[in-house]
Amino acid sequence: MNALTSQPVITVSSLTKYYGDFKALDSVSFAVGKGWVYGYLGPNGAGKTTTIRTMLGLLKPDQGEIQITSINPAKDPVQALQSLGYAPELPTLQTFFTGEQLLDFTGKMFGLATQAKKEKIKQLLDLVGLEEWGDKKIGKYSKGMVQRLSLALALVNDPVVLIMDEPTIGMDPEATAHFRNLFTTLSKQGKTIFISSHLLDEVQRICTHVGMINRGRMVFDGPITQVLETFTQQWVIEAELKKVTKPMISALKRLDYVQDVKSEENKLRIELKEKKDLRGEISSEIFKHNGVLLSLNLHQITLEDAFLRALKGGQ
Amino acid sequence: MNAFQRIAIIVGYEWRRAIAKKKFLVLLILALALQVGLFALFYYFFTNPPPGFTVIGPSLEEVKAMMWLVGVLGPQGLFIPLIAIVVAGGSMSEEYEHGTADILLSKPITKIEYMTGKFLGGLSLLGFVIALTTTLGATLAYGLFGPQEYIQFVPVIYLVLVYSNILFFSMAFMFSEVFRRTTLSILAAVGILVASLFIGGILSMMYSMTQEQLYLEVSKWLPNWSVSNLPSFVASELITAPESPFVSVQGGNIQLAAAIIAVYTMASILIAALKLVKSDVTKRTS
Repeated sequence: MNALTSQPVITVSSLTKYYGDFKALDSVSFAVGKGWVYGYLGPNGAGKTTTIRTMLGLLKPDQGEIQITSINPAKDPVQALQSLGYAPELPTLQTFFTGEQLLDFTGKMFGLATQAKKEKIKQLLDLVGLEEWGDKKIGKYSKGMVQRLSLALALVNDPVVLIMDEPTIGMDPEATAHFRNLFTTLSKQGKTIFISSHLLDEVQRICTHVGMINRGRMVFDGPITQVLETFTQQWVIEAELKKVTKPMISALKRLDYVQDVKSEENKLRIELKEKKDLRGEISSEIFKHNGVLLSLNLHQITLEDAFLRALKGGQ
Repeated sequence: MNAFQRIAIIVGYEWRRAIAKKKFLVLLILALALQVGLFALFYYFFTNPPPGFTVIGPSLEEVKAMMWLVGVLGPQGLFIPLIAIVVAGGSMSEEYEHGTADILLSKPITKIEYMTGKFLGGLSLLGFVIALTTTLGATLAYGLFGPQEYIQFVPVIYLVLVYSNILFFSMAFMFSEVFRRTTLSILAAVGILVASLFIGGILSMMYSMTQEQLYLEVSKWLPNWSVSNLPSFVASELITAPESPFVSVQGGNIQLAAAIIAVYTMASILIAALKLVKSDVTKRTS
């Protein structure tokens, strides 16, 4: 899904927030559609957590409005937050509870029936890999385990919208991969997922849409394919050969679709005029000049490149 | 789920949170132990009176028959207000300090429901503590000194004790929300309690020396006056026996004491609610 095809699940309009004289959010606007996995990116202090906490009604906006499933959480938190799950960044949970007790308490807050709650607790502890730890006090959990439990808590009410602030921070690579798959599964179930993260590789793997914020201002909002397209200046093919010759370089430079060719020892960097995969054409030309190819890669822009360019543009 | 159910969930949460605190348990055990110790001393004193000891006014038997009042009103002096302050002083602030306020308030509940649940949870816990000390006091009096007179008024005195302690409870609760720092809110409330005791003592002394009514009137508006005296005023109304040794409080004005408690309590709750509703939920501070 590349554009809003129905009523957005999350709408943030002209959101402005001050901390004293400091403008933490400056007219931030975006909309998140049903089933999207929206990656909210920005450097430290950009305003990601402030946006999320305002979306949850924890902070009062100075200007602008937020709607979650068409309800303003500041005006009607009971209705707006009923269908929402939230996992905060580096959560600190109530250490006097066991994992099961905290899940039970959270289930009660969402009005879950006793039997449904029992089954849900077991299912969620299994899902986050804490089945052996459910009856232990949270004070005994490691940071990674608290993070896992926090994700389980966010799923207690089977939410329509899942908001997660740096959800995999502090997790080991295995757990990170597990949760990445989980987010994808949840998205396929039709849940809308809003992830704030600075782990660009992770966002690129799982998100369908991206919002980028820098110094409180949105610098990009759109589908992930569009972000790469928007910030791609040119495509580059990098070739490693047994030997590079001057006639080969001259011939490559003469090609219509080649902008420039740079060589360094036995490596070539061929900058293309078009955003197109032309590895076949380039390899044919190299073979014509008796070149022996060791490797040939199309270097596409990564989300990190796009992010850095977006930030540069935003400044 | 309706608002009452949501408030009830927070009440239960507040009980668990408060009971998990070591300083609450230490104060409770200390209060109960002191009560037992006090009664043991009285028992020893009454069964082994020093040579030549005589009770002025009522007979020793009459004093023994009213010992339940010592047990019920005794902890009111300092321990119950301190427990009230410890329970309420961290009620709101600890959630900010630990970052759990974010977790609680991102659930389907309004800020007012959340605060009401927190307030009622702490207050009901305090009510339970007062019930424990009251029951222990009455039981010890009965067990050590035999049948007690007017003991049927224990439930009324209990309710008055709970009502009296709302004042320091709500004051500490307000500081907990306004300062959002537990140590600071407890210190502020204890400071007011101690200052109130101290200033009240000075004003009382000034009154004794000058007989100037103004000193007495001013002292009545100190928070401690109504909290300490309302239970005694009510007891003196209920227990009409002229020989009663523990309820001879002069100048008792139940209505005024009750009204002063209500004014302090309402003001504290209002300030706490305004602060919570009007301001942002602060992030973890510890």
